[in-house]
Amino acid sequence: MEATAIHALLQSRFGDAVLDYVDSFEKGSLVAAGRVGEIAAFLRDDAALGFESLMSLAGLDWDGYDTAGKGKSVDILGYDELGRPEASDRVGDGDLGVAYALYSHRHGHKHTLFVRVPRAAPQVASVAAVWATAAWHEREAWDLVGIRFAGHPDLKRILLDEEWVGHPLRKDYVMPGSWQGVPLDGRDYAACKWDEAGVTLPDDVKKPDDPQQPGNGNQG
Amino acid sequence: MSETATGRGWGAQDVRRELHSELLEINMGPQHPATHGVLRLLVHTDGEIVQGVTAHIGYLHRCAEKIAEGCDWRQWMVYTDRFDYLAPINMNFGYAVAVERMLGVKVPERAEHIRVICAELQRIASHLIAIGTFGLDMGAWTPLLYCFREREEILNILERISGGRMLYNYFDIGGLRYDAYEGFERDVLDFVNIMEQKIPEYDTLLSYNKIFIERTADVGVIDVATCHAYGCTGPVLRGAGVPFDCRKDDPYSIYDRFEFDIPYGEGEQGTVGDCWDRYMVRMREMYESCRIIRQAVDALPGGPVKAEELKKLVKVPQGSLYTRTESSKGEIGYHIFADGGSKPFRTKVRSPSFSNLHVIEKVGPGMMLSDLVATIGSLDIVLGEIDR
Amino acid sequence: MTQDRKDYVESVTPPAGYDPRREQCLDFHVAEDLAAMAESDDKNFILTTVDNLFDWARLSSVWPVTFGLACCAIEMMAASATRYDIDRFGAGAFRATPRQADLMIVSGTVTAKMATRLTRIYDQMPEPKWVVAMGSCAIGGGPYFKYGYHVVKGVDLIVPVDVYIPGCPPRPEVLLDGLMRLQDKIRGRRGGTKPPKWVADYASKIPYVKR
Repeated sequence: MEATAIHALLQSRFGDAVLDYVDSFEKGSLVAAGRVGEIAAFLRDDAALGFESLMSLAGLDWDGYDTAGKGKSVDILGYDELGRPEASDRVGDGDLGVAYALYSHRHGHKHTLFVRVPRAAPQVASVAAVWATAAWHEREAWDLVGIRFAGHPDLKRILLDEEWVGHPLRKDYVMPGSWQGVPLDGRDYAACKWDEAGVTLPDDVKKPDDPQQPGNGNQG
Repeated sequence: MSETATGRGWGAQDVRRELHSELLEINMGPQHPATHGVLRLLVHTDGEIVQGVTAHIGYLHRCAEKIAEGCDWRQWMVYTDRFDYLAPINMNFGYAVAVERMLGVKVPERAEHIRVICAELQRIASHLIAIGTFGLDMGAWTPLLYCFREREEILNILERISGGRMLYNYFDIGGLRYDAYEGFERDVLDFVNIMEQKIPEYDTLLSYNKIFIERTADVGVIDVATCHAYGCTGPVLRGAGVPFDCRKDDPYSIYDRFEFDIPYGEGEQGTVGDCWDRYMVRMREMYESCRIIRQAVDALPGGPVKAEELKKLVKVPQGSLYTRTESSKGEIGYHIFADGGSKPFRTKVRSPSFSNLHVIEKVGPGMMLSDLVATIGSLDIVLGEIDR
Repeated sequence: MTQDRKDYVESVTPPAGYDPRREQCLDFHVAEDLAAMAESDDKNFILTTVDNLFDWARLSSVWPVTFGLACCAIEMMAASATRYDIDRFGAGAFRATPRQADLMIVSGTVTAKMATRLTRIYDQMPEPKWVVAMGSCAIGGGPYFKYGYHVVKGVDLIVPVDVYIPGCPPRPEVLLDGLMRLQDKIRGRRGGTKPPKWVADYASKIPYVKR
């Protein structure tokens, strides 16, 4: 079935919950965040649609997206060359979103669902009851982008630790310096002394027990 | 404990009925030889019977999707290598195809053929490791040594063509980084000739070994409905009896020109979709890969290996696209959102092992603890692409 | 050639009359006659200290813990498999439990979540123990330095490292070389490569036995 026909079918069934037709490289529908669960169930169960497989579920942060298509989106923050977290006073704005890539093994057609939610209240209906694989993908979207999925059986972080702070794939995410005592920034290169005899490493680098030991690897 | 369990000898059934076993919580991993990397499984067992499995992942989360937003389209190819480090060429292939589709670039014929040859060689190499380590999980050390013997030959060819021994970074957007060396075709054909003779050797070593069949047949059965619900692809889906392969059903590159079959599980030794079926699908895919390589080498044309218009900085027009290709583990998908600039705005990687591993939480309960190891081995997961 | 380079070349160039067989059987530098005695058929004995003997035993059977993290783990597997065969250097017995191992090859990227587990495994290993940082990720974060919010920028920020093996990933040959450098280090752990003076004195009094 053509994407336009799928979109028309969804529109006739769900009315104003289907917001817009998305005509990009891939074709799809922009739907309301609160009703994506029932739309998904319909997409799977309807005989003509038959989307029994969710290929991918991507969480997105549209913060600073250049809608003009010139590629002028904001840069993300990282660590500088000395390994220190880069700081910025920019406050993130813009919507968050989810994209569902669907495929029907029966009919061999694809469709992509898009959802946009405000950054202040990123709440999307869960589709974990429709496609079991979504349970992990939604946990990942919550973990990395910070989107809440209403009705998810067990919404907790999946890749990062439960006690991690922040959602890394947001554009305004500031890199952590350490986490629970584990250093995540680079070593303090400024404290390294570079002289002709070699490098004296700072105290944060663990040294073998006996620094005076004669073995230097050259005796073989 | 189930009361229907049949005891032998001195009335094991009665003993079991009397013993009130309590649930035991076992941590498998993240440092465990049978979890194929840094996977952690939290297993609840009642005696030897698994009552619940929870997979904890993320121990190898290397922030590749964040890095994608910070480097340009070509640079990120390096990181795709490191997703599935057993089949880096297939990961490169998926990303290259994804970006080329958005750019609308036509890749030169010679590059396409070399790509297919490399990808199929890599698929064989990856399946060799899958088979070898699966044998290792089942207690057979010898097949691993045989598998590594052939794998080294593949790595030799790929090293000569790309310069890297294991991670290649050989594919470029719009073609290849450089042309194949002289004598590449001969090397590949030599290898294929040897490889086709070696596969029966693995069969005698492992496939039809009585102990191996006892350990894998009827174990870890995953049916088609579960596969679709959990997004399982690749040998897991084909092992369940569905001849679905992106190379045929969603063709990319020049795979539609070649003749090859898609092996699928038929339940020869037990039930359709058991561990043995998944294992055997891989074994037969190596034959098919050899067939594809022969055809590709025969048809290898001359000419450039890089699209002319793409010598400079790549800028992908605004929009989004989900592209999937068939890696050795299954469907590797790149959902790319571009803003028209020189960097990807957001790249979501849908990795096959991520979905394939998820199904263990569904099929795990009810099986023996040792069968859980067999099932994980037959899924052939790579933590690099699960955690990314 | 700079002075550093000269010193290095001098330090690795074997002295005149160097006999590798003597290295194998004795592992410390005594007078030549001692070596000849060790090789003689009728009077086989070796003179050494207990420390040297233990070190020799340790370096000849370094047991690594099975601790594959990422891509480098595959090269570690390749090093232990058919073509490279790490067992030739006595380090082929990969132990699944850290309590039986004395070498930890950190083969891959160490993440924040894994770091706590890594230190726990390190703590569980009995003394003496050694750590090899294999690959650029374990050395300093590697390609994940700039945006790696979850990557530890070098395993030496967590545990002490004895040998660094560069590469992404290092070839199995380089891993074997790193292992040999570690063996050098174990060999020279206490008191250098020279035996105590009393051993040399005593050895000098033993008559030279010709084969």
